[in-house]
Amino acid sequence: MNELKIAVSGINAVDNPGPGVGIARALKEDPDLNVKIIGLAYDAMEPGIYMDWVVDKTFILSYPSSGKDALLERLAYIKKSYGLDYIIPNLDSELPLYTKYTKEIEALGVEVFVPTENQYKLRAKDKLVQVAEKINIDIPKTAVVNSPDELIKAVDKIGLPVMVKGAYYKAERAYTTQEAISHFHKISAEWGFPIILQEVVKGEELNVVGVGDGEGNMIGKLGIKKMWITSLGKIWTGVTIKNELMLNAADNFVKEYKWKGPFELECIVDKNKIYLIEINPRFPAWSYFATGCGINLPANMVKKSFGLPFEENQDYEAGKLYVRYTYETITDMKTFQNVITKGEN
Amino acid sequence: MAKKYEKPVILKVQTGMMNKFGSSPYYTRKVRTEIDGVAINELVEKFGSPLFVFSETALRQKYRAYYNSFSTRYPNVAFGWSYKTNYLPAVCSILHQEGAIAEVVSEMEYDKARSIGIPGDKIIFNGPYKNLSALEKAVKEGAMINIDHFDEIYDLEKVADKLKKKIKVGMRVNMDTGIYPQWSRFGLNLDSGQAMDAVKRMVSKGKLVLNGLHCHIGTFILEPNAYAVEIEKMIKFGYEVEEKFKMKIEYYDIGGGFPSKSKLKGTYQEPDVMIPSVDEYAESISTSLFRNLRGGDLPKLYLETGRAIVDEAGYLITSIIASKRLPDGRKSYIADAGVNLLYTSFWYKYNIEIDRQVDGTNEPAIINGPLCMNIDVIEEGRLLPPMEKGTRLILSPVGAYNVTQWMQFIEFRPNVVLIGTNKEVDIIREAEDLSDITRREKLPERLKLNLNSP
Amino acid sequence: MNRLSKLAVNSEGFIFDPTTGDSYTVNPTGLFIINSLRDGKEIDQIAEELSKEFEDTPEEISKDISEFVSHLYTYNLY
Ligand SMILES: Cc1ncc(COP(=O)(O)O)c(C=O)c1O
Repeated sequence: MNELKIAVSGINAVDNPGPGVGIARALKEDPDLNVKIIGLAYDAMEPGIYMDWVVDKTFILSYPSSGKDALLERLAYIKKSYGLDYIIPNLDSELPLYTKYTKEIEALGVEVFVPTENQYKLRAKDKLVQVAEKINIDIPKTAVVNSPDELIKAVDKIGLPVMVKGAYYKAERAYTTQEAISHFHKISAEWGFPIILQEVVKGEELNVVGVGDGEGNMIGKLGIKKMWITSLGKIWTGVTIKNELMLNAADNFVKEYKWKGPFELECIVDKNKIYLIEINPRFPAWSYFATGCGINLPANMVKKSFGLPFEENQDYEAGKLYVRYTYETITDMKTFQNVITKGEN
Repeated sequence: MAKKYEKPVILKVQTGMMNKFGSSPYYTRKVRTEIDGVAINELVEKFGSPLFVFSETALRQKYRAYYNSFSTRYPNVAFGWSYKTNYLPAVCSILHQEGAIAEVVSEMEYDKARSIGIPGDKIIFNGPYKNLSALEKAVKEGAMINIDHFDEIYDLEKVADKLKKKIKVGMRVNMDTGIYPQWSRFGLNLDSGQAMDAVKRMVSKGKLVLNGLHCHIGTFILEPNAYAVEIEKMIKFGYEVEEKFKMKIEYYDIGGGFPSKSKLKGTYQEPDVMIPSVDEYAESISTSLFRNLRGGDLPKLYLETGRAIVDEAGYLITSIIASKRLPDGRKSYIADAGVNLLYTSFWYKYNIEIDRQVDGTNEPAIINGPLCMNIDVIEEGRLLPPMEKGTRLILSPVGAYNVTQWMQFIEFRPNVVLIGTNKEVDIIREAEDLSDITRREKLPERLKLNLNSP
Repeated sequence: MNRLSKLAVNSEGFIFDPTTGDSYTVNPTGLFIINSLRDGKEIDQIAEELSKEFEDTPEEISKDISEFVSHLYTYNLY
């Protein structure tokens, strides 16, 4: 098979890790694909830059806030100077660009497999009620509020404690109405309106990662429970599970919305109720878990994009364990220097 | 061959900022040598610096894009040009030529529209302060008056008595559309029943006849759906009024508020990514109209779009007059235009283009204006290449709200020019000089200085 | 001056300060000035040599150099 040059972003494998390194590793391990991995980084300190056994070549990108032209220009440069066939964007801040300018990126001769603009909007927390209903999963009592007055009324209905969330980012727990109002002001000042109030549901966190093919079919999925998380809330140990309610909701999600690309559903299970908390329109940081269980989601997504054969919606075993660990690598300053002075290595 | 000189620069590699494109010449640096085919150099040589430049082509194109997007979706639509956004006569005239009527919010603006030649019946008269004589004039001249509060109802009833006629009026309403802050200080509230009380009052006196509803939900509204909510609530209310009081609501004026491609401070993504297209607004609005209007009922839809039409047609050219190194290591540039000319810089981060290719490393810099005041900062932090004194920056978009809200404080206001569709350049507002300031000032005889006597 | 002599400076303008662990980047003119300072040259002499080495040097080149030196100073390198 011809060599494919695939770029992945989010190679910041730090204490709040991006998904990139795990995805790069998954692609490298697929027996059918012959890939060179391009790491796309925003900072010279992203560890993936130094992991030359997974990342073959690195380019620094200008921050997503520099907009479309800067991105397209840089991708064109990468394509010309090194070669670039495919990009997997893995960071929340990048997705607005990739979903809005999919055509422009494809016009450079670079494939992407991301949700459409309209699908992308579904992740907004004020849309959660409508999504949950359609895919047949519960959600905690939720209210969308735009003013402290509305907040007070909503808190009366939902009760305390309550989660105060931005439409896309940030979530804080409040134990009193006063505290909720103060979170309301802080979050709205930073992330805008509306603000979402949500009942605090207790239970264990379950997640599912999946990839939709854009036509209503599931390329593959894996359900897990987080057994141990770090102080930043990131998974450190996990186990595969088969919660039918959650897996069915994931299938419905892909079928109802013809979801295209990777996604993660974050859920909380309380006895026989399961609540949808969040939709992430990208691979989660632990996506390698699926690869390790025999379902190579990144590789199958690439195969789908290029019309190569792969096995759809494979089964997996419940009870497989995921264990993260730390590891060090020592290198001299050359790579760092190159990234700082040339923006690539 | 010798290498080309660039200003020497050293940058510390800082944790969390190790992105080469921070300092790269290619990505944050934009060069603009002309506006609509007229060289920046030539403009400044002829008209001085700073200089506001408007593009007639851009203005007409924007208006047409908006008009077409709406008129192809709803058959009965008109735009009222929001004077407060920019009331330079040249700008207003271009938009009036394109077919916009006038939307004014004070007697001054009303008189301005009349002086440009707009008849009273082509003026929408909004605003919280319309004094009795202004109201009387507007009624006589047939303007569309949108009532802002109860006191205005009483005043208009007085006018009706005086002129011995029933007056057709519109009423501004406000409501919750999911947009925050809610502009609840203007008009009468729909949700609380206040608006209905006002209609009852008009009906009971029988001097005013309600024939229109007006609302303006805010400015730089990024959510097209807010307009759908606004329209749904207005039409529901309209039908309620029609049924209860046998009136006919002939127009719905949904105000302005569409964003221009400007970068609101505190937002992360570029305007290109953030800002919905005209068509998304038009689609949301027309869908809501057809969903809520009864079959066959096609009342007039007015839009008072301001910034979205004029903002991107305006540029400000400013010159670097000095630079220095601040104690914290940042570079500071002093420009000849400051917040005196750029009122909107308090909320928006402009696109900055440079009039020439500048080589060398970008470094964190701020841009100060000429006012001897600490708040006079038009750019609080951006990576800029090392620029010589005399380098010109082109800031945009600045066409909305600046040439109406600018202030005369220790500096004169500069020339404003318009580049026509055939590249002809005309002054549309002359630079001020000392006489403009002293003309209205009076010095009592006894205070006159006589420096010749000892 | 003493600080300058200890810096590790490569030809691409990457500078590492072994005393503090800080890194810096300089552009070609900045690199030229740092190397000249390390050789113990004075600003006037540097200005003269800089204008021979580079094309299109402006008249106020000494102002540029002293601004650069004051920047080194804010970084505690001079
Ligand atoms: C009544 C009214 N109409 C129209 C406008 C124009 O708004 P925009 O420039 O946001 O389109 C304003 C601005 O504040 C307004 O108050």
